[in-house]
Amino acid sequence: MALAAVLASLSLFSCAKAKLEKQVIVLGFDGMDYQYTRRLMAEGRMPNFSKLAETGTFGPLATAVPPQSPVAWSNFITGMDSGGHGIFDFVHRNPDTMQPYMSTSKTEGSEKAVKVGKYKFPLAGGEVKLLRHGTPFWELLEANGIESHIYRMPANFPPSGSASFELSGMGTPDILGTPGTFSFYTSDIFVNEREISGGAIYALDYWENRAEGRLHGPENPFLQRRQTLSADFALHVDPESPVAKLVVGDEQRVLAVGEWSDWVPVAFEMIPTQVLPAMGRFYLRSLRPEVELYVSPLQIDPISPALPISTPESFAAELARRTGRFYTQGMPEDTKALSGDVFSREEFLAQAKITGDEILGQYEVVLDDFDGGLLFYYFGNLDLICHMMFRSTDPGHPAYDAERDPEYLKVVEATYTAFDRIVGYTLEHMPDDAKLIVMSDHGFSSWRRAFHLNDWLIEKGYLTVKNPSKVAGTNIYSNVDWSKTRAYGLGLNGLFINVEDRESKGVVPKAERAALIAEISEELLAEIDPATGEPAVTRLYELEETYHGEYLGLGPDLQVGYNKGTRCSFESAIGDLTGEVLEDNMAEWSGDHCMDHTKVPGILLTSGELAKPASSLKELGGAVLAEFGITWSGTSTGG
Amino acid sequence: MIWINRVLRAVFDAVLSPFAAWSPWVGLALVSLVSAVGVLWIFKRTSNQDALAAVKSRIHAGLFEIRLFNDDLPAIFRAQTSILKANAKYLWLSLPPMIWIIVPLFFVFAQLQFHYGYEGLRPAETALLTLRLEEGAEELAAGTKPAVTLDVPAGVEVQAGPVWAPALRELSWRIGVVESGDYEAVVGYGGVEIPKSIRSTDRVARLSPNKVAPHLMGQLLYPAEDPVSGAPSVEALEVSYRERALDFLGWQVPWWLAYFVLMILFAFALRTPMGVTI
Repeated sequence: MALAAVLASLSLFSCAKAKLEKQVIVLGFDGMDYQYTRRLMAEGRMPNFSKLAETGTFGPLATAVPPQSPVAWSNFITGMDSGGHGIFDFVHRNPDTMQPYMSTSKTEGSEKAVKVGKYKFPLAGGEVKLLRHGTPFWELLEANGIESHIYRMPANFPPSGSASFELSGMGTPDILGTPGTFSFYTSDIFVNEREISGGAIYALDYWENRAEGRLHGPENPFLQRRQTLSADFALHVDPESPVAKLVVGDEQRVLAVGEWSDWVPVAFEMIPTQVLPAMGRFYLRSLRPEVELYVSPLQIDPISPALPISTPESFAAELARRTGRFYTQGMPEDTKALSGDVFSREEFLAQAKITGDEILGQYEVVLDDFDGGLLFYYFGNLDLICHMMFRSTDPGHPAYDAERDPEYLKVVEATYTAFDRIVGYTLEHMPDDAKLIVMSDHGFSSWRRAFHLNDWLIEKGYLTVKNPSKVAGTNIYSNVDWSKTRAYGLGLNGLFINVEDRESKGVVPKAERAALIAEISEELLAEIDPATGEPAVTRLYELEETYHGEYLGLGPDLQVGYNKGTRCSFESAIGDLTGEVLEDNMAEWSGDHCMDHTKVPGILLTSGELAKPASSLKELGGAVLAEFGITWSGTSTGG
Repeated sequence: MIWINRVLRAVFDAVLSPFAAWSPWVGLALVSLVSAVGVLWIFKRTSNQDALAAVKSRIHAGLFEIRLFNDDLPAIFRAQTSILKANAKYLWLSLPPMIWIIVPLFFVFAQLQFHYGYEGLRPAETALLTLRLEEGAEELAAGTKPAVTLDVPAGVEVQAGPVWAPALRELSWRIGVVESGDYEAVVGYGGVEIPKSIRSTDRVARLSPNKVAPHLMGQLLYPAEDPVSGAPSVEALEVSYRERALDFLGWQVPWWLAYFVLMILFAFALRTPMGVTI
């Protein structure tokens, strides 16, 4: 009897041990397209993918509606659709003010403060709130005693706090609280200081081979008067050679023209004894005839994070001490600098390589440390390179330059093959019995035609402006006549009905909402792009039919599924008007995925069969749990 | 002074080298222990132990008096006055041994700073090598870039520079370490060759961020390397090693704080066995 008890306990122990030692590695490759991957595999250019597919599974993974990263990753995290997790787009709108706001997180300062002279001393810290709802699937692992290591999961800032180790990813702001604001400094006296999308241009004071400038931080929370924090820097230019010495506080770097610095810590003094730590990378673009210096968006310093970016909070600093400082901003590839003509394509690719190498280097350390449970690691490099470089792969793109683009033809492919090597590296370094799951949140397409949804609504009489003679270049929030507006567009796919008693200036009675949605849907589906002869829109998603859960009130009445190659314009997404309905997309941002979700599936590649097959992002979290023998019925709503 | 520093360097290198591969806490704990013993020994021999014991008794008596006569205001006042006087006497009696202690402790501190205050360069890591000139250097007056050379051994590479920054009186190079090792770079300036040590190691080792001009204060503060000789216009030759912080339960603490706290703890623990009144 006693022997049986001992054997039973030993058996239990060995089961528990086996459970703890189980390893599942999930690699999240943002934007990896199923069709493109399949083609490269067929051509033998992704041998590690092919090798894995031979012994496991490879197929498309249905993306989210709409196929936007924050929505898609939230589907994966929670097993719910937008109605359940509350993320419908990058931006949501406040129906009271009709103003857009970031959908995934909210930062609030402390309201109570003691005021002394020109200073105010907050009585409590501010708060950063994750607006994504629902239970992350890794919470069930933790509840079962299995460690989860979640690196850079999008739509997870601030970190959920429920994983053993977490590092926040997409959605993590820079030190200004923006998605990323670079600074460009020039000694050219003919260049005006100004803000541009995603950045700002500043003048340098330059005399006797010495340039001086100022780094700009957020508002000083200790001052009653609004005043931004700043930190001075100097650039000592060598009189003979193309090289300079950068001095920022106590930090010094020597940079030759064309070189990037490593991370330079920056301390913004708020009051004596209190500093806001940040860090930036400096790129010395030119010294002659003008001094030109690019400074990356100043980041939350992981050594001393100003906002919570990891679980436990000390984890980011521990990681940084092991691997060196790293980009903490959500989407670090500086697409805005390329779009704003501050970067050339080579410079953008060089910067993207720095971010990619940094994240890959950290992955190698993380994988080496990983000894059981779940490891999720996110790579966003491919997505942003595809956004900016896709036109070089598409001679049919209106902005395709037959002279310049062939030079970049292989950039996207090279990024895919680099990701193939990541899979190869993982296979070499993981135990034989570990399960590897490679997935992406959506696919990709060339973005040839820009659809100005709000201008279309004007043309069809659903949106009325106050001043019809001056539509182009205005904003719906300044030029719209809400009393005569029945529908408006906001976000990359969203269309809202201006409903009475829901929108602050709503005019459409609730009883007429459904009929109006049907009417608009019919007209949108009938819209033919005169340039292509193809429908501009191929699928529409009604709120109540598409989503389930308690957060339907945040979503648009209609999500517009654009035809492959067409996407909502940037202008319309934030409510700007142009006077055009459809036009060629001539922007550097030449690839996209915010279209009909059936046309841009992601990928799912696994080593061996999954214990529970998954065909969509919503099902994948449950499939990961099934690898550990955990059954997940999905969260209560929004399934 | 050069010879004193050479001897001290040799002694500290020999004492600390067995612990080079270990956590900095190990060597630091040992040095703190030895320092505590030394401090107690000096304190015992340079202080009036009987007078110190008497004055401490007086303080204790005053404290008891306050406790016993806590309903007698004049008695409390008298006791407090007595404690204050005794305290002043205690400080006065502690002054001579403190002065005796400060001198050797200064040298110990100066040596430890260059073992525990910085981290060696790692392979692939970069640093700045900077030559700083005196204010009177002729190039500053002439407004010309100084003629300078830098020779580095295999294992170290010059990546960029030199940059001449007259406002700082500095010429700077960015150097990179290819592989671990102890190296000597040579800066040529004004017809003089100035050697500078560069160390790439992940161990606790003596590092010299500053090689200074041969004046007394520089020698006292930067004893980790022989001073610059034969180049009167040179103020210093520097390598930008990273400062080290010790991990204490997730907190990053400077080495000197750890050293003083450990030394004080050891001194309190050893005062009775060593028969020292402090």
